[in-house]
Amino acid sequence: MSAPTAVLELDHITRHRAGRPAVSGLTLRLDSGQVLGLLGVNGAGKSTTLAMIAGALVPDSGGIRLNGADFLERPELARRVIGWLPERAPLWPELTVSEHLDAHGRLRGLHGAGLAQAHRRIVERLELGTLSRRLAGVLSQGQRQRLGLACALLHGPRLLVLDEPANALDPVQVAALREVIREQAAAGTAIILSTHLLTEVTAACDRVAILHEGQLRYDATIDGADHKALEQTFFDIAMRGNGSNDRMQAA
Amino acid sequence: MSVIAVTRLELRRLFVRPLAWVLAALTLAQLAWRFTLLLGGFLAGQIKLAALPGGPGYTDLVGVPMLSSILTGAVLPFGVAELALVIVPLLTMSVIAGERSNGTLPLWFATGLPASRIVLGKYLALMLWLVLWLALALAMPLSLAHGATLDWGKLAAASLGLLLTLATLAAIGVACSAFASHASIAASVALTLGLVLAGVNIAAQRAGATHGVFDWLSLSNHLETLLRGLVSTADIAWFLIVIVVALALATHRLAAEKERG
Repeated sequence: MSAPTAVLELDHITRHRAGRPAVSGLTLRLDSGQVLGLLGVNGAGKSTTLAMIAGALVPDSGGIRLNGADFLERPELARRVIGWLPERAPLWPELTVSEHLDAHGRLRGLHGAGLAQAHRRIVERLELGTLSRRLAGVLSQGQRQRLGLACALLHGPRLLVLDEPANALDPVQVAALREVIREQAAAGTAIILSTHLLTEVTAACDRVAILHEGQLRYDATIDGADHKALEQTFFDIAMRGNGSNDRMQAA
Repeated sequence: MSVIAVTRLELRRLFVRPLAWVLAALTLAQLAWRFTLLLGGFLAGQIKLAALPGGPGYTDLVGVPMLSSILTGAVLPFGVAELALVIVPLLTMSVIAGERSNGTLPLWFATGLPASRIVLGKYLALMLWLVLWLALALAMPLSLAHGATLDWGKLAAASLGLLLTLATLAAIGVACSAFASHASIAASVALTLGLVLAGVNIAAQRAGATHGVFDWLSLSNHLETLLRGLVSTADIAWFLIVIVVALALATHRLAAEKERG
């Protein structure tokens, strides 16, 4: 059996925001087909980490490698390799769903028959057909998330970066999202998703990393893990961050 | 290829926005009014003008004045250049500042495109819209070309001057949009800069300053030469310098924003 290939390697990346370290010395590796859940309370540094991985933000120090290549030296790699869904899917309200997909496809280097095929495939898969001609500005939050996900998946990225993707989705849409994540992982896409919900991680991911105050505090596979123990670990890390150490120990 | 993708997207966004259509409709209606007045004046004085050897013709009295009031002094209704001072800032204000407030700027960064290509793509889309607008304005005097004697060289030089003016104002507008946090601030600053550049020499003269630097800085001065039919390298270089500096500043600001977050 061949060794898994690293799609993403973070090497001690650090990023300051508003004068304090939002992410500090984060080192991480993600292989193809792996689904990593980045868990943390609000303000833990999850979105900053994902923005750096997506190429929307540059780290102050450290390195990022994509498929073995230096991403900071070659930011154009983001174009074909990465698909990113930020926390609130950013859309142009004056464009229709279909126009969004075409625009994203072209910006990601697709054109002609390849673009048309990818467009058709993703519209079918995410059931966007009935919304095709609707303006993005009038979509519901759940529909916006679906369109954002479609834009992220359109060009067939090797690394999918999802920032709190289940936000504003109803249970049916959450189940559909998990199915898409599983499909993508089975096809070899490396996926990193952030959430502050442990249930989301245990349901969709095969590995969990807990981020707290910008630092990686925990990183393990979920397969066979005791969910209760994981929950306790997360709670412990989060509480310690809030200065409730003594209370935890007393309990 | 990536610049074309950006231009295509921006052009599409420009054409589906009501603002662009409203501006086009209002300004072209106003230009049509100016054209009618200029044509009426030309027809009324045609017999007198015919008696003057080397007197002004259709191009001097209708074609060029359609483009700007600089040579005639009759400002109202506005010519293309005067209208451009107002409509270009309105068109450019949201080019980058709008992305910032809409939260779509990180999306551009995540495409892996260098800031220069994003700025250039957006700028080209604006220029295509402005060229189309200028062409529609020029179509009015040109519609009578078969019945009038046109000085094609003079009209071409004047059109080049207007094209360069539009390109300069658009570049300044893009730079203002890159630096401003809100589209309205970008529009205000771009409008002010445009007016300052257009009138810096006149203001300096009125204040008693006769230094050549004010003449050199003045957009009107460089445009005036082209409107008179004189194409000089120095004037074209002035326009190109301002365009390049403004776009370079916009690119630098955008790249810095990605670094800074």
